[in-house]
Amino acid sequence: MKPPQTMGRREVEREREDPANFDPRAERLVGQEPLLLDYVRKLEKHRRGRQVAIIHLSYLQPQNRREHHVRTAINSFEALVKQLKGQIFVLSNSDLVFIFKDAALDETEGAIVKMKFLFSDDPLLVDEGAPGRPAFVDWFDMEADYEALLMLAQRAAHEEEARRHQDFTKGFVAQQAVKQMSAGQPLTPQMLNRIEEALMRADLSNLMRRQAICALVGRAAPQPIFNELFISIAELRETLMPDVNLASSPWLFQQLTESLDRRVLSMLIKNDDRTMAGDVSINLNVQTMIAPEFLTFDDNLQAGMRGTIVLEVQKVDVFADLGSFLFARDFAHERGYRICIDGVNLDSLPFVDRQRLGVDLIKITWTPAMKSGLLPNGVKFEHYINRCGPGRAILCRCDDKEAIEYGQSVGMTMFQGRHVEALIVSDAKRTKGLSFFRR
Amino acid sequence: MYSLPGNPNPDVVTQESLLLGAVERIGRIRQGRIAVHVHLSRLRPQNRQDGHVRIALRMLEPMVNAYRGQMFLLTNSDVVFMLKDANLTDVENMIYKLRALFSKDPLTFADTGDGIDNFCTWYDLASEDYDAFLEMAREVTEEARARNRDKSQQQAGSTTLDAKMLGDLLERLARTDIRRLIRRQSAIAVGAGGANAEVIFQEFFVSVTELQKELASEVSLLSNRWLFQHLSLSLDQRVLGSLMNSHLAAWPVVYGLNLNLATVRTSAFQEFADHIGGHAGLSVEIQVLDVLADSRGYFEAHKRLHDQNHWIVLDGIGALSLQFMDVSQFKADFYKLNWSPEMGEGEHGEQVAAALGPLGLDKIVLGRCDSEAAIQWGLAKGIQRFQGRYVDTMLAAYTMAVCDKSAACTLGQCIARHGVLSGPPRPECGNLPMLDTPPVMRAIKARMPEGAKR
Repeated sequence: MKPPQTMGRREVEREREDPANFDPRAERLVGQEPLLLDYVRKLEKHRRGRQVAIIHLSYLQPQNRREHHVRTAINSFEALVKQLKGQIFVLSNSDLVFIFKDAALDETEGAIVKMKFLFSDDPLLVDEGAPGRPAFVDWFDMEADYEALLMLAQRAAHEEEARRHQDFTKGFVAQQAVKQMSAGQPLTPQMLNRIEEALMRADLSNLMRRQAICALVGRAAPQPIFNELFISIAELRETLMPDVNLASSPWLFQQLTESLDRRVLSMLIKNDDRTMAGDVSINLNVQTMIAPEFLTFDDNLQAGMRGTIVLEVQKVDVFADLGSFLFARDFAHERGYRICIDGVNLDSLPFVDRQRLGVDLIKITWTPAMKSGLLPNGVKFEHYINRCGPGRAILCRCDDKEAIEYGQSVGMTMFQGRHVEALIVSDAKRTKGLSFFRR
Repeated sequence: MYSLPGNPNPDVVTQESLLLGAVERIGRIRQGRIAVHVHLSRLRPQNRQDGHVRIALRMLEPMVNAYRGQMFLLTNSDVVFMLKDANLTDVENMIYKLRALFSKDPLTFADTGDGIDNFCTWYDLASEDYDAFLEMAREVTEEARARNRDKSQQQAGSTTLDAKMLGDLLERLARTDIRRLIRRQSAIAVGAGGANAEVIFQEFFVSVTELQKELASEVSLLSNRWLFQHLSLSLDQRVLGSLMNSHLAAWPVVYGLNLNLATVRTSAFQEFADHIGGHAGLSVEIQVLDVLADSRGYFEAHKRLHDQNHWIVLDGIGALSLQFMDVSQFKADFYKLNWSPEMGEGEHGEQVAAALGPLGLDKIVLGRCDSEAAIQWGLAKGIQRFQGRYVDTMLAAYTMAVCDKSAACTLGQCIARHGVLSGPPRPECGNLPMLDTPPVMRAIKARMPEGAKR
């Protein structure tokens, strides 16, 4: 068996499986409760002529209130905010509070109609107004309801404070999880069986994450190219199997990720198109690419969408059965999907020849050892990238600046990882300003 | 799917009988209709699994719907569809795409020399083709009926392996004496001088078919690759233990073992290596899959094995691996190329042979040589090392030629006794030292080119 120190590196090399990449604070917008409270207090003398709409995104199904949904919802108020007709706040439960001038009532209602359309097949809005259903939007008159609003803002700010404290602790726990990954009982077939059974029943939608693959050229702002959708294994482990050492049995772990990939696919089938909106990538194994689940998924996609979807296949899966892979590759290409080989690391680079394999992209896992500039076979890394095509290789797990700087120095242009996420956030802050959302 | 087990009703509805019904119905209204029979059953088994057939149907579906046609999936995986007033270019394009999808199968690239398309057969139903089509439909219906009549119980290996079963299998494996399941097969080298051929290693391996029979015949062990890999880790340990306790009458020159990279790091491996040290060499066969899963581990193992003077053999190289990866990157001592009959066919075989050049022909072991044709092909390309059933037969024949007890045995018995490590039929042999000592053989001669063509 493999000694733990090498396992932690290898088996957990996929971005989505790496607990080190799990930062609970980065997964959602940080609440603006303190700002809201501050603003409400300032308006004490200017209550007249102002109204408030609280939009309860928190009542929507989890899959409808992920970060990009919240962003889209915020964007519907962008014009009004720019015209200084109102101010928007995002709470940590994803609810939006829009405080606006009477004159902007029609436009506000318009924005909310648009938003309702966006979420129109969420159960909350399907039978909106039915008895017992909570309202999607609560309206307040600043002048008449000031005290109630102030109390609401105070309570929200207080709760956010408590949560922040918790998050801090949880973030620390997540860091510890890296070490714990290779601690605990070894994963056995019996245990895997129980986990797989639990997976069938569990609602995994709140464990679904997305991470951007960005073009980073020179010092220009990051340009998101597509988003990888994945299940956070670190969080899954915390909930389902805290005491299991996933690194102990590499092949059983491989089987587990395969089950998860199938679950993601079935979730995407059930979800509406918005989860898939924008360019995305999903992880698939070769057998699933020609399985009925994938054909159903394919059926449900809107025409023209396939060209924007990248299918990520693990390198081990590709070489486990080249014949099956080539068949699946040709089928997927014929349907218009793009294919990325995932999980390639410094040591396996010599075996993975993108052009020969006829795939669109390869994803290389960053490690500081790359700075030697050489592959294990003595070939220059830069040489490899050149042959692969600089626009065809993604450097992933870029947790710090160093990774990106090195990648750029050998001609790479596409990057993924925590540092990339941080760049996106700081860029958003710069261009949109603090009033939109803080992270 | 329509017939219940234990109720062998000869008149059950099958896709074949539905096809026949449809063909009979259109007998009078054949104008503008065509039919195409896609012979997926002629593909290699690994290329016509459920997934492949499903995709083929999916590709054809929209076209069949567009021309208000009908499509039938026959029991043997063949697909037959009928169309009315179809644009022939559309149909040809679709068949072209379908053929491209199966382009890695000999069915689509092998040249039969008679000009007949083996991938699909077209019928212009308005013409006399109709009669041939009707005849074909009748034949397949009759065959399906016959199959239904003697449908056996649950077939062996029809259940897919899952984690729960794997747990049970591992427990059963722990209680099983696997020595009886270990098989032995020798590889030979034909000397450059051409005078003699000698055994370079004896490979010891567990036959998966036998193991499946022993552990659970209803479960297909290979149906889940990752779970099988996990099982093979335990198997490695058991094989190493069994070989330490085997009672061969003579040491093999070199032990050839299929192992996981992870096993090479275990104490069981080191104990085995120490045990045979000074008596026999060791050659470790590693799968491509394993190297890709842990490339760093591979390079570490590579170094460790070489430091101890063991060989590394990269197992299971095929035409596809040669084409789609730079195999020389493995830096192995030997590469085991699996022979397949289509290599004997012109262009394809030439491509494979050309790809071997950079690896060094002296590093190739041609495996699965079931026939003399395989060995003749190898010799013609400059390969010197061979393994397979044909080699087993040669070895047994040479053994019998020099064995003083051979009068009591048949060639088949001698081959079978060579093939096992312990248990029947080994004890029947009257000269165990001879059985375990490879004979010196005369080198096989490459035939004249005329002969080698076949």
